[in-house]
Amino acid sequence: MWKRKGEIQPRYAKLSPDNLKVAEFLIEAYKGHVGAKKKVLKALCADLENQGHEYRFVRALALLLGRRSTFVCNSKVNPVDLRRKIFEAAEKTGLPTTSMKRQRILEFVASEMGLATESVEEYLYADLDDELVLEKFNPPATVELLEQYNLSLTQTLLFDSTELSFTASGNWQRLFYSVKKLGLIYEVYRDSGFWVKIDGPVSLFKLTKRYGTSMAKLLPIIVANPEWTINAKILWKYTNEICNFKMESRKHGSLLKKANLQPVVYDSAPEQSFASQFQAVKSGWTLKREPEPVPAGNKVIVPDFSLERGGLNIYVEIVGFWTEDYLLRKAEKLKQVEAKMLLLVDEALACEKLTALEKRPQLYFVYYHDKIPLAPILRYLEQAFEEVKAKEVKFLESLSVRFTEPVVVYDEFAERIGVSREAVKAVLCVSPPSGYVAFPNLLVSKEKLSHIDTRIGDHLLKSGKLSLTEATRIIEAEGVSDASNVLATLGYKTCWRGINSEQAEVSKRSVA
Amino acid sequence: MPRLWFDKGTLLLKGEVGTPYGKWDPRSGCYRIKASHYRDAVDYFKESKIRYEDDVLNLPPLEQVKSNVELRTYQNKALDNWCRAGYRGVLVLPTAAGKTFIALKAIDFLKTQTLIIVPTLDLIDQWRKRVKECLGVEAGVVGGGENVVRMVTVSTYDSAYSQAPQLGNRFLFLVFDEVHHLASPGYMQIGEMYVAPYRMGLTATYERSDQRHALLPLLVGDPVYSINIEELTGKHLAPYTYEKVSVELTPDEQVTYHAQMSVFKNFLRERKIVLKSPSDFQQFIMTTGRDPRAREALLARNKALKVAVNSEVKLNLLAEKLEEYKNEKILIFTLYNDLVYSISRRFLIPAITYQTPREERREIFANFGSGKYKVVVTSQVLDEGVDVPDASVGLILGGTGSTREYVQRLGRLLRKKEGKTAKLVEIISKETVEVGISRRRHAKTGGGCIVAS
Repeated sequence: MWKRKGEIQPRYAKLSPDNLKVAEFLIEAYKGHVGAKKKVLKALCADLENQGHEYRFVRALALLLGRRSTFVCNSKVNPVDLRRKIFEAAEKTGLPTTSMKRQRILEFVASEMGLATESVEEYLYADLDDELVLEKFNPPATVELLEQYNLSLTQTLLFDSTELSFTASGNWQRLFYSVKKLGLIYEVYRDSGFWVKIDGPVSLFKLTKRYGTSMAKLLPIIVANPEWTINAKILWKYTNEICNFKMESRKHGSLLKKANLQPVVYDSAPEQSFASQFQAVKSGWTLKREPEPVPAGNKVIVPDFSLERGGLNIYVEIVGFWTEDYLLRKAEKLKQVEAKMLLLVDEALACEKLTALEKRPQLYFVYYHDKIPLAPILRYLEQAFEEVKAKEVKFLESLSVRFTEPVVVYDEFAERIGVSREAVKAVLCVSPPSGYVAFPNLLVSKEKLSHIDTRIGDHLLKSGKLSLTEATRIIEAEGVSDASNVLATLGYKTCWRGINSEQAEVSKRSVA
Repeated sequence: MPRLWFDKGTLLLKGEVGTPYGKWDPRSGCYRIKASHYRDAVDYFKESKIRYEDDVLNLPPLEQVKSNVELRTYQNKALDNWCRAGYRGVLVLPTAAGKTFIALKAIDFLKTQTLIIVPTLDLIDQWRKRVKECLGVEAGVVGGGENVVRMVTVSTYDSAYSQAPQLGNRFLFLVFDEVHHLASPGYMQIGEMYVAPYRMGLTATYERSDQRHALLPLLVGDPVYSINIEELTGKHLAPYTYEKVSVELTPDEQVTYHAQMSVFKNFLRERKIVLKSPSDFQQFIMTTGRDPRAREALLARNKALKVAVNSEVKLNLLAEKLEEYKNEKILIFTLYNDLVYSISRRFLIPAITYQTPREERREIFANFGSGKYKVVVTSQVLDEGVDVPDASVGLILGGTGSTREYVQRLGRLLRKKEGKTAKLVEIISKETVEVGISRRRHAKTGGGCIVAS
């Protein structure tokens, strides 16, 4: 841990040869001491410390290895029973203040239990922590141990945090679910990114570390993302000052262990069936699980799905099997949502508060019973898309675009302008700009077309014959796809002699 | 209508009204109030004639409490004072003066949902037993792996703190056993996150060396009754004698002791560090975290102390004392767990430390109580309030310098029994720091005991 000018940072263990050596030594020690007592391992750690390695580092690594170990009590009899017998015998004969008396008691109990006297000595306190025997050890990779150490180090620092803000590139549902489950309160805000600020109910009244443990529990979920940033306020216990703690994936990502989070399982049957049904039909929309949260005032809704098509985003939230309290809060939040959202609501749960929201233009409700009906959803999506398309068409028409390039591909143009491909097509196909001919996927300048026409004509003149394959090659060499439509437009016909385009012959249609 | 409800250890108030006790919470869009202000907020609404909806409490069902507790005169006085102080306040009574019974009587008097908060799992067992015996109801338990809430529930400070968001609205009466713990920075939130208006604190040692007991009036109420050990000695508690025996270290031990101690002292001299008070020492401990040489010095000091505490000569003297008090019930105290186990192994005496399984600990106590075992050796686990049945001799081998520990160890021996004089014997090493620790330990107990040294 170091602290300077109000900033605080844990002393991370770099993946340096020195640190790797210590980690490897310890892992090998544990591996080699299966069957040995815990106190032997403790002595090995003490040796490392005496050799000048940082004692906190050594002990922390040992602690982490201890979590991967199984220690057992190595005794043929239950030490508690053995002790009872010994103490009772000692009380009966009087406490042994000489070693002779002591020996006699031990021998008596040993013979009674059918043990050797030395075994009685050995087993008497075999259940003490130091006397436990390493039975099993599950060794980590050396690097992994250091990464785990760094993660634990950060968590330990966060135990003393009073508030924490973070950005992350994903895992939102899990994050907000955990925030709620841990009894924390969040607020969201945007500057350069989407930030979530976390503290708890009591934080309103005073600076408290009460929620530090909970914040530490969030850490593995945050850093499991490829990109993240964390800012925390740490109450430094020794001086009682507030320090800033910052870390980010760019600098620290490689130092920390990445939790292997299981992908979120579909949490309800309606969700699961909706996802699979929706993906089975070709709707033109892309379904995305766990999209970025939708801001609703200073709270968020983490929708179940987002649907994307040509730059249009519609969020989907399935409202099924929840308490009234939950629905009311949801309704409250939805009031503030700016984004378009499709709400699939279990009929049985429909309530006045929710239906009152139906008037809001950005929300659309579909009620279901048992199974989510796809038809009304698709109708809504189509309509929503048409609306957006109409707006975009208007916008495109208001632009007076002048093209200079010989070929304009709709997809590329749509992306450049930020509208849907469909809108571009609707505008350009219906009324192509002068000097251009419109094809289903692109515009080609008349100049380019006549150039292609000349080249094909030349070829036909020279060899008297032209296969479709060859013609396609010529057209594509000019940077134009969609050869067959181009040929048709230029007045060529294709005569097929089988399914092979090698054998399909292109000829000039005789002008009537 | 404004609505007031409990939210994770605080109260939320929604509606067109505020209270002088609340604070606007922009995160939630409503007023938030400390749970401990529940009664104040309610009084405010009532006096202002504001109609409101109260959704705060979530109380477990009441059960038929039947008390068979008869209080002694001073216990009755304590309870009276507490009632007159508005069912709030701290009672300061020495160990073994029957604090438990006063609290049980108070529960019987209020007949309301009660949470009893105690420092250790042992005390949970003890209170559970007493609740059953004296009130005739089964107690719920939160802590130590159990989580059952009933009309009378017992919990540890740890659980009461961590579970405050779930438990804060489930009781109207809080009993804090060993209430001085409540003043620590973490635990004090228990005082703030529970709505219970009725509160009682019990302790033998009201003052804390860090002065934080000044917070207790806010959290539980003022001290309303106090009686000291002298007033009770002989009347309700057994009289006792105190004896201090010094032993010399063996020559070998002396060599080790002085060698290690000089490492420590030289370091202090070199760095011009003066250790006068416990807080000086704490400051020094902190530096050992970042300064390897300071750590070395600290380890040397610990090694020296260990030699002094574990001295062979002391064990031999212990053997003599065990012979001397052959027919008495003896408790042996020591600071180091290692020493507990070497005494246990050498003299085949039942041992109790933090490592002793709970079942075994219970069994050893039971056997000690019935007289089946006459001697038990233990480290610091018995420090607070655990009912150890009437021992008549206490042997102390080493210990820390804090006053509280001493008073309570002492108190443990002082169970009233006909014609009994308790003996307390402390065995220390001559010419070592241990003498200093022992002197400090006596600084505040003083007068009432009959010192024969």
